[in-house]
Amino acid sequence: MAEDVFLSDDLLRQLMSVGEVDLLVGMSSLHAANTVSHALDEIEESFQRNFVRQRVVIVNVGGGDNDEDSARAKGHDNLAEKGVRVPGITSLRTSHRVAANVPGSPSPGIALRTILAAADLLRARACAVVSPAASNLTPDSVANLLRPVYREKFDFVAPLYTRNKYQGLLARNLLYPMSRALFGWGIRELFSEEWAFSGRLAALCLNQDVWHEEAIQARPEAWMAISAMASDFRCCQAFLGEKSQATKGLGRDIVEVLRQTVGTLFWCLETRQSLWLDSGRSQSVPTFGPAHELTSDPTDLDRHRIFEMFRSGVTELEPILSSILDPETHSEIKSIVSLEEGKFRFKSGLWVRTLYDFAASYHHAVINRDHLVQALAPLYRGMTYSFLAEHSDSSPAEMETASETLCGEFELQKPYLMERWKAKVEVKS
Amino acid sequence: MTLEKDNLWYKDAVIYQLHVRTFSDSNADGIGDFAGLTQRLDYLEELGITAIWLLPFYPSPLRDDGYDIADYTSVHASYGSLEDFKTFLAEAHRRGLRIIIEMVLNHTSDQHPWFREARSSRENPRRDWYVWSETDTRYQGVPIVFVDTETSNWAWDPISKSYYWHRFFSHQPDLNFDNPAVFEAVWEVMKFWLNLGVDGFRLDAVAYLVEREGTLCENLPETHAIIRELRKRLDLAYPGAMLLAEANQWPADVRAYFGDGDEFHAAFHFPLMPRMFMAVKLEDRKPIIEILDQTPEIPESCQWFIFLRNHDELTLEMVTDVERDYMYDEYATDKTMRINRGIRRRLAPMMDNDRRQIELLNGLLMSMPGTPIVYYGDEIGMGDNIYLGDRNGVRTPMQWNSALNAGFSLADPERLYAPVISNAVYGYQAVNADSQKRSEHSLLRWMKSLLQVRNAFQVFSRGTIQFLNPSNHRVLAYMRQFGEETVLVVNNLSSSAQAVELDVQRYKGYIPIEMFGRNLFPRFGNSPYLLTLGPYQFYWFQLRRI
Repeated sequence: MAEDVFLSDDLLRQLMSVGEVDLLVGMSSLHAANTVSHALDEIEESFQRNFVRQRVVIVNVGGGDNDEDSARAKGHDNLAEKGVRVPGITSLRTSHRVAANVPGSPSPGIALRTILAAADLLRARACAVVSPAASNLTPDSVANLLRPVYREKFDFVAPLYTRNKYQGLLARNLLYPMSRALFGWGIRELFSEEWAFSGRLAALCLNQDVWHEEAIQARPEAWMAISAMASDFRCCQAFLGEKSQATKGLGRDIVEVLRQTVGTLFWCLETRQSLWLDSGRSQSVPTFGPAHELTSDPTDLDRHRIFEMFRSGVTELEPILSSILDPETHSEIKSIVSLEEGKFRFKSGLWVRTLYDFAASYHHAVINRDHLVQALAPLYRGMTYSFLAEHSDSSPAEMETASETLCGEFELQKPYLMERWKAKVEVKS
Repeated sequence: MTLEKDNLWYKDAVIYQLHVRTFSDSNADGIGDFAGLTQRLDYLEELGITAIWLLPFYPSPLRDDGYDIADYTSVHASYGSLEDFKTFLAEAHRRGLRIIIEMVLNHTSDQHPWFREARSSRENPRRDWYVWSETDTRYQGVPIVFVDTETSNWAWDPISKSYYWHRFFSHQPDLNFDNPAVFEAVWEVMKFWLNLGVDGFRLDAVAYLVEREGTLCENLPETHAIIRELRKRLDLAYPGAMLLAEANQWPADVRAYFGDGDEFHAAFHFPLMPRMFMAVKLEDRKPIIEILDQTPEIPESCQWFIFLRNHDELTLEMVTDVERDYMYDEYATDKTMRINRGIRRRLAPMMDNDRRQIELLNGLLMSMPGTPIVYYGDEIGMGDNIYLGDRNGVRTPMQWNSALNAGFSLADPERLYAPVISNAVYGYQAVNADSQKRSEHSLLRWMKSLLQVRNAFQVFSRGTIQFLNPSNHRVLAYMRQFGEETVLVVNNLSSSAQAVELDVQRYKGYIPIEMFGRNLFPRFGNSPYLLTLGPYQFYWFQLRRI
């Protein structure tokens, strides 16, 4: 019964007052105390500049009553109520703000579920989720997310960014090409802190019995995208400008990042088997605004350290890798580990086969799935080292060509994954 | 009934606006007249209105619906005689109905003897009664009012070979109020009608009386001085007579026309009108709250006059570009419905003949602060004819019954000044006063009961307003208070049922009594007061502490 009433009475009362809306922007203000006011202002300004006639609401999911961030968000008067206006612009309607306080520290999954429930109850036509911590959040970026849904009737909008060529390597070398090859849709930023969706996708996802899943709790956005694909909903990408987060180092938190992203992707493969096992060649998705852009600023990544972590990690995890990888793949990995740093290359064919081995073993649960995903970390470091060495002088165009080649490799080897996926495997105890 | 002696009568009035031509034709010439209007006074008395505002009935070439006056002290032959007017006035007063007439001070017709003399030669004594120029470059930058028709505020006079100034049509030369003789002449005109017994004047286009280089020639201090002098003379010689300003301006600008209670008694609140329509279409109270928040306090003796529709287009001058586009998109999708900066449609067609919306808008009109004006025919939900030129589509004959010419005239239909509305939805066979009189649930009968309640409580006409601002923005709720009278008004602006919680803590212990059915509702307590309202429903509650 608790599942049926996860929305608080207070939230329901607020939603009653809002009524039906055209546009909903949701965000979680947890751990964003310093930026939440700015984010609210940017969203309000976006409404006033771009959607003067529409019924709009901001749903801010915060922690319990002691949560400083949500308290700050709650206390932040909205522009319309204060009578402050964008010069020359007048919103015709009341601009609403809903503060949804969830006990404790709500995970992204809980926050999204709350936002989806609000969207469903308010019959929102277009919704976006944004991160108040993102410095690239602007009135334009909010509008660029919402427009394809509201005006063009798309059901899912993933962001596209201008990125440094050394940024987003996990997306470039793993998440994008693998998801594109398997699910058939070329969405570059499957994992992002900002995306948009239609009311009907919100309703579809809200009613899935997945909200207890760990994968959904951490990074629910890819699951939403894949749910859209699975239902033949219309997906697209929208260019939002420069990606705000600084390049993440490949240090200790890569394990957590892999758990959240690759773990979720593998979980989606598991739960959406019929979708990808039967899908054909991948297709591109429509893009609003400029295509994916790369810049060539220098990087301070310590390649030598990355290589050392690869080598030591593979050595330490030898027994685990042997249970995950196909023997031939494992043998090739062992052979490249022994190469000198200067001569080391992680070839794309081997990288794809390695990932497919991991995915198949995840499916067969040859070991604890969480441990399995963590074991990918050293191999990902090896791939990253190889990528950095190979592309230190590459132009953005050359990078794109390489990216397309890698996508092709993933597609080429998809039968290999399917074969391993369907094989009967004896799980070691 | 006779007129009560009350100098503030205009504050408690409910005004009915009509054109003699459109109302009732007594001599079968196809044009309404004073004798016909007089015969219909019982209808207006029964309706519950307390004053009639007559559109211009003076002799005129009728190139601007009578606002081009050719003789200020007579009646257009089509409408009868001065004697007919006097009879009408006496009969109206006998029923307790006040009469407000139009007075166009800013300009005359180019057929007025004053202008004919003025243009006849540069030496004529009346030459200086109008604004002349050798060039058409004076007063550059002054906006043109009728942008669909005029390209300049100057017109060339081939007779005297010079330009004359006109803020409206070129056949309406502006009078020169810098000439004291002009002021004295118009005061003589006003005295003429006041001596007959009229109760007030609607002064047309008052913002434009004086011109000054380097200004927009609007709202100038010299204009206010003229108004003050008129008012002074009026109060002295005709106490109780009222001056109503037609100044299509923002409330803050119109405020100046009240002066310190020594200029106009009343003025139209133009910006409120489109916002009532907007609020219903948006299903959001924001436009109404915003404009009333921006409305300044006015002297105790003064009053805003408010309306839904009138004889002109639904003016969209006092809205932003965004709001205007929205109004066009929602209420005038067919471009034929648009004219100048407005919409030439009647209330019922604009509401798509939705009785609930028509009632809600009338409920708003009657419960907002100000003196309400009902445009003839709107009390029965008359339609319009957007294919007639100019704004004539909202000036078609009154629909009295389902007989020939809607009972308006016994003339051949081809002879009518304008065709009656005859389509299947709004035609006179379907929409007419007689059939609605017989139907207990007709719009006409409903309007009567609305006016009956409104007229029984001075709080509506003189009370203060305080918005309650419940969290449900589709509900517009306000308290009206005057002396011991307190009324709570709750309006659902949306097309769906709504629940609303009202903070009435201040009125704890009061019993709300629904004012139409006189039913008691639960007493206000400590908790927010919960009400549910159907689509476009509204409540008026009298609050009593018993």
